[in-house]
Amino acid sequence: MLRVYAITLGQYLEMSLKMRYLNLKTKIRDIRMLAIVGIAEAGSGHPGASFSAAEIMGSLYFRIMKHDPLHPEWPERDYFVNSKAHSAPGYYATLSIAGYFHPDEMGSLRKLGSRLQGHPVRYSDFQKDQSVPGVEYSGGSEGIGLSVAVGIAIANKMDGKKNHVYVLIGDGESDEGQIWEAAMAASKFKLDNITAILDRNRIQQDGFTEEIMPLDPVKDKWAAFNWHTEEVKGHNVEEIIEALYKTNQLKDRPSIIIANTVKGNGIKHMTNNPQWHGKAPPRKHTPLLLEELENECLIAPSIIAGEPENYEDKIRKAERGGADMIHLDIMDGKFVPNTTMKAETIKKLRRVTSLPFDAHLMIEKPIRHIDRFIDARCDIITVHAETCSENEFVEIAEKLLRHGISPGMAINPSTDLPPWFYSHLDKIDVLIVMSVNPGFSGQQFLPEVLQKMTQIDRKLTENRFKGYIEADGGIDSRTLQQVYDAGAKIVVAGNAVYGSSDIHGAIIQLKLKANIALEKRLLNRSTNLDIRQDWIKARRHVLIPLASELGIEEELNATR
Amino acid sequence: MQLGNLKKTADMRSAYGETLVELGKEIPDLVCVGADTTDSLKTKKFGDKYPDRLLNLGIAEANLVSVAAGLAIAGKLVFASTYAAFLPGRCLDQIRNAICYPNLNVKLVVSHAGLTVGADGASHQQNEDFSVMRAIPNMKVLAPGDAVAVKHLTKLVARSQGPFYMRLARPSSEVIYSDENAEFAIGKGNLISEGNDATIMSCGLMVQRSIEAARVLIDKERISCRVIDMFSIKPIDHDMIYNAAKQTGVIVTAEEHNVIGGLGSAVSESCSERYPVLVRRIGVKDTFGESARDDEIEELLIRYGLTSGEIVKAVVEARRASK
Repeated sequence: MLRVYAITLGQYLEMSLKMRYLNLKTKIRDIRMLAIVGIAEAGSGHPGASFSAAEIMGSLYFRIMKHDPLHPEWPERDYFVNSKAHSAPGYYATLSIAGYFHPDEMGSLRKLGSRLQGHPVRYSDFQKDQSVPGVEYSGGSEGIGLSVAVGIAIANKMDGKKNHVYVLIGDGESDEGQIWEAAMAASKFKLDNITAILDRNRIQQDGFTEEIMPLDPVKDKWAAFNWHTEEVKGHNVEEIIEALYKTNQLKDRPSIIIANTVKGNGIKHMTNNPQWHGKAPPRKHTPLLLEELENECLIAPSIIAGEPENYEDKIRKAERGGADMIHLDIMDGKFVPNTTMKAETIKKLRRVTSLPFDAHLMIEKPIRHIDRFIDARCDIITVHAETCSENEFVEIAEKLLRHGISPGMAINPSTDLPPWFYSHLDKIDVLIVMSVNPGFSGQQFLPEVLQKMTQIDRKLTENRFKGYIEADGGIDSRTLQQVYDAGAKIVVAGNAVYGSSDIHGAIIQLKLKANIALEKRLLNRSTNLDIRQDWIKARRHVLIPLASELGIEEELNATR
Repeated sequence: MQLGNLKKTADMRSAYGETLVELGKEIPDLVCVGADTTDSLKTKKFGDKYPDRLLNLGIAEANLVSVAAGLAIAGKLVFASTYAAFLPGRCLDQIRNAICYPNLNVKLVVSHAGLTVGADGASHQQNEDFSVMRAIPNMKVLAPGDAVAVKHLTKLVARSQGPFYMRLARPSSEVIYSDENAEFAIGKGNLISEGNDATIMSCGLMVQRSIEAARVLIDKERISCRVIDMFSIKPIDHDMIYNAAKQTGVIVTAEEHNVIGGLGSAVSESCSERYPVLVRRIGVKDTFGESARDDEIEELLIRYGLTSGEIVKAVVEARRASK
């Protein structure tokens, strides 16, 4: 038996600790998609809480926790106690995507005879028919889970086990006095094997937490109970993961990560809206909600643009402006005429931000240099199709996968996608379609690339490619819509950001354009589905500020 | 049934504490949790012997019960103990959702149940626990009648899967059972003495009073009473109730508990479904108690009708009424 587990631990190290950034992003997107399908089918459930905790659950199950869906009772597993159990749809979706049960079962959520009860039930011999493997704790009554986690953590310490207990609590739930009883007990017993994560979405059933029962200063409260505290942006997996790694190392004290989240994050009209705490969307909206989740547009500012050097400052400004990742153009003076940063520079920049590094190697013979960029802790590493053979690319990609780095391939405007690309879709997380000839920043966007991108996108979709298309070269707030419509979900912006005197404003402008592009897409889809009026009504407050850009002022007035 | 020496008294809590120490040796996974009452509950004895396996969680019962659930999830056999007043009522939600719903191996053993807690008054006199605990699926409810029963049942509970609620009384009580011959099984009543004219079914401290009542009834009224210790309130011994109803015609129940929802109710439910006969319930008559010094406990019980005399009266009246 032990031997089986030892092998599984190895597998887990391979799979879970090393999960790539973009792969994690996709999995978290899938959590939301699966949750919303379940809720819409059930006609009830809590989308808000499922969505605010999606990154937390995703980071835990796909990056941090030791667990094995094939052996849910593996004694060395880490425990997850979902104390805010009304996030059940998101929790079930996470377990399902992790492999604990088939995603099709999500359609039975909250129905009679389902294993997916409204609030999850501890899976055991007694309750095989009301639960799914992987659920450790029967939640539903708020305020209890942290105490249960304390009990598990004490037992693990007694047994000299090294496994960790993670417990997700809510901010509304923190009104319960028992949370604070458990907080005292955890510090009394010096439970450094427990990490609580507070989903601080600031909304509870009746309204905003600070109006119903103020919780702030919540960090000071936990510190006063002698817990180590961390505060993170709760939809930023990089920050969540960094905080979890950090708290796992601490000794003699329990830790809490206050994750500042947005209830309903992912679906714009549900975002930060108490109405969506416990309400299901109409079923007819499901295709549109899935479309929205599938078509998030990530902005990746390229820091070689604009004034030379001072990368640190540029990264900080990009982060403040809301950039999703940092694009690093690495040029060797051979493949392209210019020379930019080296791996050593990236290594130094790594401490400036937890945003993912999207490294684009415009270098000859990348296979010879790849180790240094792995070592520099890039999250995505893309090499050019023009610089490697199929065998070399596969070798690079497999190496990156082993290191938990997203592999990417880039093609120049005049390069066609090599036919062998389609044989390795499972090893590729991103395809960069260049819309300028690489080598210098500040070039003009080549519009003929759009048709190429559209064709590639169609073919990749047909082949069930799970990764992203990334558009790079001369993209600004005018061309963003075009590349987005052509299928790009990651947009590199160089001069459009750093050529501006207002970097912050420039990023916001790009994000706004990405939003408009998304709303247009959804409106078109709603027309096709014959629910346009209904959709505009449901999404009213999201659409109002964009009305003139979208040309829907009259339609909006009509739905008032 | 071989009866013990009724003149000898022993206290239930010490029996509980000593048994835990004994079990602790056999069962390394046995853990006790307490809420600032470990001295009083005698679980401290267990802690003296196994310091790492007694957890004092302070005056935080909701946390106590839920931490117990967590320990059980991670494979421990947990005995959670404090005063009866503070577990079933205060922690109903946690007992229901954290322990009973997932059917965890947590044993709630409480003391100071019923009126006989005495001087602390009604806030501490738990007379509703059977009723509340009995209604939760998966929960089993026990009320031992003396220290020997406590010893046997603690062992039995430790070896049985799932949640249990067992209540002890504060005062020392007369020993009913002799250690050697006592036998207990969950879901079975113990026949204390045979009789054909009526049956008295009781639990906890009222068992000893029932034995007394039976003696008076045979001596003074020529009524031969079957006396049964119904220490297992849930599951209850339906066969024993059926036979008693059929063979003796009337049943009187006696418990240190509200007449609503406890042993009397459980017996009536079973009886009315299987072999309806008259059932009279002796217990606290849906009222709160009051303070009494230790030397006034007997008087307190008289005031609330929990005496052998009341049992005698009930048997006589029930027999008359059923003719």
